[in-house]
Parts: sequence; structure tokens; C-alpha cells
Amino acid sequence: MTEILAVSELRKSFGALRVADRISFVVRQGEILGIIGPNGAGKTTLFGLLAGNIRADSGRIEFDGADVTHLPAHDRARAGLARTYQIPRPFTHMTVFDNLLVAARFGGDMDEAEAESWVERVIGAMGLRAERNTLAGRLPLLMRKRHELARALATRPKLVLVDEVAAGLTDAEVEQFIALIRGIRDSGITVVWIEHVMKTMLTATDRLIALDAGQLLVSGPPQEVINASEVRRVYLGA
Amino acid sequence: MSEDLYWTLIDIANGLLSGAMLGGYYAIISLGLALVFGVMRLVNLAHGDWLIVAAYIAAVVVQFLGFPPFVSLIVVVPAMFVIGYALQRYLLNRVSVQAMEEKGMSSNFGLMSPILVTFGMSIVIAHALLGIFASDATGIKNALSYSAIRLTQDLSISTLRLIFFGIAGAILVSVHLFLHRSHAGRAIRAASDDPEVASLMGMRTERIYALASAISLAVAGVAGVAVGMSRTFQPFDGPQFLLIAFGVVIVGGLGSIAGSLVGGVLLGITQVLAGTYFGPSAQLVAGYMLILFVLAVRPQGLFSR
Repeated sequence: MTEILAVSELRKSFGALRVADRISFVVRQGEILGIIGPNGAGKTTLFGLLAGNIRADSGRIEFDGADVTHLPAHDRARAGLARTYQIPRPFTHMTVFDNLLVAARFGGDMDEAEAESWVERVIGAMGLRAERNTLAGRLPLLMRKRHELARALATRPKLVLVDEVAAGLTDAEVEQFIALIRGIRDSGITVVWIEHVMKTMLTATDRLIALDAGQLLVSGPPQEVINASEVRRVYLGA
Repeated sequence: MSEDLYWTLIDIANGLLSGAMLGGYYAIISLGLALVFGVMRLVNLAHGDWLIVAAYIAAVVVQFLGFPPFVSLIVVVPAMFVIGYALQRYLLNRVSVQAMEEKGMSSNFGLMSPILVTFGMSIVIAHALLGIFASDATGIKNALSYSAIRLTQDLSISTLRLIFFGIAGAILVSVHLFLHRSHAGRAIRAASDDPEVASLMGMRTERIYALASAISLAVAGVAGVAVGMSRTFQPFDGPQFLLIAFGVVIVGGLGSIAGSLVGGVLLGITQVLAGTYFGPSAQLVAGYMLILFVLAVRPQGLFSR
């Protein structure tokens, strides 16, 4: 299997706080890779480093065969790297359709006609048809989360970084999201998924990596990672 | 109808009409300030000085090319557009909130530093104008500046102000349509909502900001011509227009485009009516009292989102 993302020796500190300490891992084309770790482990920071919101102090990020370490966020988006936030951040004063449209036109580099038909497809696939013309700021939480994911998909990414969706949702809603994300993977998009809920990660991912205090603890098949002694120690203190 | 009542009504009608027309003029002056604040949270303290720069460009065009004042817009507006773009792209973007955060500094620096930079710019512009044009009062008035349209025997409005009101309305509608219907306009709205996410969606926020700034100064260009046709101006006149713009923006709502016209009209009517009943010296005081009142009752402004 080819690697779509290769991270090596990535480092980042905010003052004395080390948020990424020589992190290395790869993401394989077409997989769902889960990232787990306790609060403050550096999961979201890692997404920031990958998407380009935060610049690494040192290390290398290779995406789709090209070195993107020094590319700004907008160029990484155009290259096919998309990201969502745990707390959805829609363009609140724009409609769902317009939110996705700017994503498709800029991030996806499509012309107006292509972008419009693509956005209609994404809206349909993500179950947002009824909310198409609603201002994104007025969406309820569940729809906001769907919208967040839909807008990332509107850029027609090769890889999407999904930051925690399960928090605040019922079990049934989480199941829906697992199905959605599997569907995204089946359409050929690689997924890297941060989640706090272990059960979700265990059933939904192909592979897991565990982080703690900015360091990568273990990586491997989900069951193995969750049973690993290092992971049990940071999660359970045992 | 008794004579007294008739004149009372005429006074009020005159106040409302010419106040509203004055509001169009105020709206043109303020729109650029409202736009850059709305999009970038950037307070441009040199807004009034750029307006005076535009007035001087217009004066030069009128004098040396022999254009009528209104025709000078075809030079002034593109010139100001280019200045606005370059100013944002090569100077103000370097001191923005994002630039400061990228350098690892507090975002408070990002809010403060453009204020300092534009304050300095205001001083530099005024002195540069003084150096080039000296302190003599300049103007580009023509016959239009003195003409009026008579509505009834005792009611008339200034032709120029009516034209400005129409222009203000046209600019407002075009800016609104541009922001809501065009590719670039949607990007401006997205970046104004959340610049970080906008860049994640592939938008180059520094270019988007430059475009917003360019539009802002292009509108200030129209304002400069409007000012030049209404009165004489001097190098140090910028701050008083900044003050008008601030007043309008506070009343109308920070960053609201439609609020500029409403704010302008309210301020205009307040000033003219106060002038009618309490004499010319009451005009400014009444304007400030309106601003104070709005700040006390609805600090986010009437139209703020």
C-alpha cells in the first residue's frame, strides 16, 4: 500500500511546553487511521501542524509524494489536505451551500459550474439537503458537525483530518458518523481521525496510534494499541 | 392652515430632507472604514487622510487634464484602489492579528499595531500633502456645487447632495451584491468570519484582505471627490472626516455596510434639525449626543450583526 502522508521527527514547542516531540508515523492510502491520547497529549496540535495552521520547529511532512513542511495552509488545502475542528467552525454568516461553495472553488480549485454540481453532491451525500440554504451559524450541533465534515469534503481532498466528532452525540448519532466516515473512506479518501471515545476508535479504525505528552507511544492494530501497557498506563494510571 | 404651522412643517421637512441628503454624503465618507473594520477588524486611523489624498488627486486631474470634477473619478477611483491593495498587501498585512500570532506574539499586538501604524500614516500623509501642495485651501467646485432643485415654493434640496445620495445608494448595492454574489466577495465574507478556516479552505487571506482594502480606499476616492466638490480642503483636514466616519459607523453598527447609510442619514438629520432650531453651533454637539445616546443604549450600533 502506498503512503499518502509521511511524518518524520516532527517537533513543536510553545515556550517550554513541548507539544510535539519527534513524532514520526505514516498514513497509508485508503485507510482510517485513529489517533488516541489523553487530554493535552498533542492530538489537535498535531492536526494543526499537518494542516499548516501551526508551523513545525523541525521535522518533515510529506504529503502525496511532495514535501509540504514549509507550505502555508492554503496551499496544503489545494494539494488535497482537509481538516475539521472538534468544535465546528462554519462561516456563520453564510449559507451551508455558500460555505461549501467557497471550499470547492478555492480548496478544490474548481470553476463555478463544477463547484456547484460537486457541492450539490456533497450536500446530498452528507444528508444536508434540507439545510442547504440555512445560515450555517443557525445549525444545531449535529448538523454543524455534519456541515464541518461536508465542507472539508467539498475541497475534494485526498486526505481528511477529522477532529473529535463523537463528543456530545448520542450512541446512535455516533454510529451514523462512523458509517459516514467509512463511506468517505470507501469513496477513496484517506481518513485520519482523532477521538476520545475508545469504543468508537476500536470499531471504526483500521489502525491506531497513541500519543501522550507530545510523544508517539505506540501504533498498530486497534486492539493491540488499546491493550498496550503504555496506553493503559496513560489512560488508567496503572 | 395657519402661517405658523406651515412654517413649522416646512422647517421640519427641510431638516429631514436635507439631513437625509447629507446622510448620503456621510455614508460615502464612512463606507470604506466600515468595510475594513467589518472584514479585518482593522481600524484605519488614516481613513480621512486617504480621503484628502483622493481629493488632491482629483484637484490635480481637474486642473491639469481639464476634466469636470465628476469625470475625475475615472482616475481617482482606480488610483485609490491600487493604493489600497498595495498598502494592505505590503504593509498592513505584516502587522495584522494573524501576522502577530504567527510570530508568536499576543493577538493584542495584532489589534494595536495597525492602529499605531495607521496613526503614523495619518501624520505622514498630512505632512507630505503640506510639502507638495502647501496649506492653501483647494477645491474642485463647479456650477453643480451651487445648484439646487426646487420641490415646492419653500422646499428645495441641493443637487449635489441628491447626486451623492444616489451614488451612496449605488455603492451600497454594488458592494452588497459583490460580497454576496461574486466569487471574490464570498471569499471576503468567509475570511471575515474565520480567517484561519478560510485558509484551510484554500483561500489566500492576505490577498483577500488586500482586495477588501482596495475597495475601501476606492470608495474613499469617491468620498474625496464628493468632499472636494462640496467645500475647500487642506492637507490637515483628514481627521475631521475620520471623526464623521467613526460617528456614522458607531450609529449604524460596526462593520455593517447598510448601517453606513442609515447611520449617515440619522446623523445628518440630527445635525440639520439641531442647526435649524438651535443655531449652527449646535450641529456638532447634537451629532455627538446622538453618538453618545447610541453607545449608551445600543453599543453594538443599530445594524450590527
